[in-house]
Amino acid sequence: MTKIHQQILETSGEVSQDDFKNYRQTIPRTGVEFEMVAVPGGSFMMGSPEDEEDREDNEGPQQQVTVSPFWMGKCEVTWDEYEPYMITQAPREKNGARKDYDPATDDIVDGVSQPTPPYTEMSFGMGQTGYPAISMTQHAANKYCQWLSAQTGHFYRLPTEAEWEYACRAGTTGPYSFDADAMEDYAWFYDNSDDKYQQVGQLKPNPFGLHDMHGNVMEWTADQYEDDYFDRIADNTTNPIVRPIKLYPRSVRGGSWYDDPEQLRSAYRRGSDPSWKDQDPQLPRSIWYHTDALWVGFRVVRPMQVPDVKTMDAFWNSATDAR
Amino acid sequence: MTDLPRRDFIRSAAGTTAAVGAMAVPKVYGQATNDTLQVALIGCGGRGTGAASNALRVGNGPTKLVAMADVFENRLEISLSALNNEFRETPDKVNVPKDRRHVGFDAYEKALDALNPGDIAVFATPLAFRWVHFQKAIEKGLHVFMEKPLIADGPSAKRMLELSKKADEKNLKCAVGLMIRHCRGRQQLHQRIQDGEIGDIIAMRAYRMQGVIGSCFSTKKPEHKSEVEWQIERFHSFLWASGGSFSDFYIHQIDETSWMKNAFPIKAHAVGGRHYRHNEDGELYVDQNFDTYSVEYTYPDGTKLFFDGRNMLGCQNEMSSVVHGTKGSAFVSKFGHSPRGVSSYKDQEQNRRQRIWEYDTPKLSPYDLEWEDFVDAIVNDKPYNEVPRGVEASLVTSMGRMAAHTGQEITIEQMRECPQMFAPDADKMTMDGPAPVMPDADGLYPIPKPGINKKFEYVIEA
Repeated sequence: MTKIHQQILETSGEVSQDDFKNYRQTIPRTGVEFEMVAVPGGSFMMGSPEDEEDREDNEGPQQQVTVSPFWMGKCEVTWDEYEPYMITQAPREKNGARKDYDPATDDIVDGVSQPTPPYTEMSFGMGQTGYPAISMTQHAANKYCQWLSAQTGHFYRLPTEAEWEYACRAGTTGPYSFDADAMEDYAWFYDNSDDKYQQVGQLKPNPFGLHDMHGNVMEWTADQYEDDYFDRIADNTTNPIVRPIKLYPRSVRGGSWYDDPEQLRSAYRRGSDPSWKDQDPQLPRSIWYHTDALWVGFRVVRPMQVPDVKTMDAFWNSATDAR
Repeated sequence: MTDLPRRDFIRSAAGTTAAVGAMAVPKVYGQATNDTLQVALIGCGGRGTGAASNALRVGNGPTKLVAMADVFENRLEISLSALNNEFRETPDKVNVPKDRRHVGFDAYEKALDALNPGDIAVFATPLAFRWVHFQKAIEKGLHVFMEKPLIADGPSAKRMLELSKKADEKNLKCAVGLMIRHCRGRQQLHQRIQDGEIGDIIAMRAYRMQGVIGSCFSTKKPEHKSEVEWQIERFHSFLWASGGSFSDFYIHQIDETSWMKNAFPIKAHAVGGRHYRHNEDGELYVDQNFDTYSVEYTYPDGTKLFFDGRNMLGCQNEMSSVVHGTKGSAFVSKFGHSPRGVSSYKDQEQNRRQRIWEYDTPKLSPYDLEWEDFVDAIVNDKPYNEVPRGVEASLVTSMGRMAAHTGQEITIEQMRECPQMFAPDADKMTMDGPAPVMPDADGLYPIPKPGINKKFEYVIEA
């Protein structure tokens, strides 16, 4: 962990405002490319106003929230990016640590826990190349970020709920970042998705240039899901986060191919549930897979400011000992 | 937990076997001093532990885990701590003190000794030991839940069927872990197909294509492990232990489509091979599996099931089963084993707009339902023996595997009568070996040679 942090400091160091722009990143281990969009910091009204149609109680009371600049994945993480991390031939403990790890000869990437291979294929026949990766636990998504960071020298992690909603709204204040009549131009949802997720980045982006924030797959955020989120952050509305202390529920945002428009709203909030592992026939249940969550994926963010090693650890290992 | 109504229990001294024939077959439940069904877990891997947890969650009978057995001590400990954690709200459910945790090849016997007649034994070890354990459970008058597949070769199939008859004579209930048969969604679909919703079945397709699964591919055994230890640990790599990746993973879909057809296939021909023989670090794979299989199964009336299986990273994944009828089609499985997406259609493309019916979101998983049904049969003394069907499913699955491995068309008779028994001495195995297959100088185990070995899936060179 300290080594990864050191490497990130050396590689990323201080980013000047001039360098804060969109970029493409190649994953060294696999040669797969993905794009990051620079999201300027700022303040916004988080949550939904009381008169928004289909509003739920957990979407307020609205708060003025400030977030620092970060980059965010232009699209959801695809199987092309995720599968080589998910399925490896290395002998692993259940917790994903390599049984044959030797710090003398193996590098820091090999030291990151990776998933044990799944027993059933996890795309559920919906397609892989160009399609969003799904069915991973928040822990697996966290570890993907660490794996990515260890080999790129940039600090990648899941977005906080606040960052996610800020990026999703991209300056808009309505239920969606687009006009509701144009839903089909921007979002995959139950009525237009033909019962499955779709390839990322095909529809129009939001004002920040981010695709599929609404629909396609729900996206993990870094927070514990709490009904009373807005009360909890009231005293600290700058880069707020509800640090997870228990395994369920963890927060997901954005709605999916399986949802109706009201669940695709910028402010719509929900949390994960143990039933997302109902079809896992093994005990202990895998820490890597949600066998029943065919609609959950994620995208990565990279904060402009590199935090200390303790903060990195808190993001990457938020599910390690939780019950 | 529901309260059971009071019942009249036939009491007999533990350990005596009931006479059969002249008198009615006794009901084998509740011979313990209370109404508890005690459970012993033999084979404490992930699935065995999952099965134990399904057993303890059952709503129609008071179940309790009292003994455990495995050949690896750490497996047993991990399993026990997972169960203790799972049932921390109801700690009485898991009562396995040190003297009822047994390690070694004779551990199963000691664990079964902790049970009374009418209790439940759970078998989730590699399949070669199934007949060994089943024999002992029948002697002791125990009901049995056993994981699939039951056999990987003909001689073992015959042996299991003989034992199954003995279990029937004693009125022992036997469950086999083909849980899809207990899925309420697939049961409804089966009924709809019988009622003619999609016409007569003319063809079926099933796919299980994914990256690397379980322990199907293995590199050379590490020096510090014994041959037997290694092979049990990497059981998907060895035909004697699991029937290979083919049997262990493909059996479900071969069984579920055959169920919809109300028949089992009578012959198979297949293509298959091993494209990648080295891992990403260039190390040789030494296991007995192909990485690609494609099988055409034929049913008695000439109908075909086309089955594709593949373990290859980065290729198109698919895990589904589709039935085509003269008037439409159906998903027996759309998203792997999940009950979601089980549905019927007016067309041959499973287009959503042509959907006739779809199963509503299930409340219980098939893994729980198979236990509900099993315990219900024990408590209410209903006829219940899934072993013959489980043996048949295991045998037709093996028939497809053998067709690929030999490069020949294999009939069910050929499969059943093939004299090769992969692990004839399963009852005498020890950690120090010898193991059922041994490696050559390169660490490579005997592999299939289609067209060269036409009668046997592999030959052990003298």
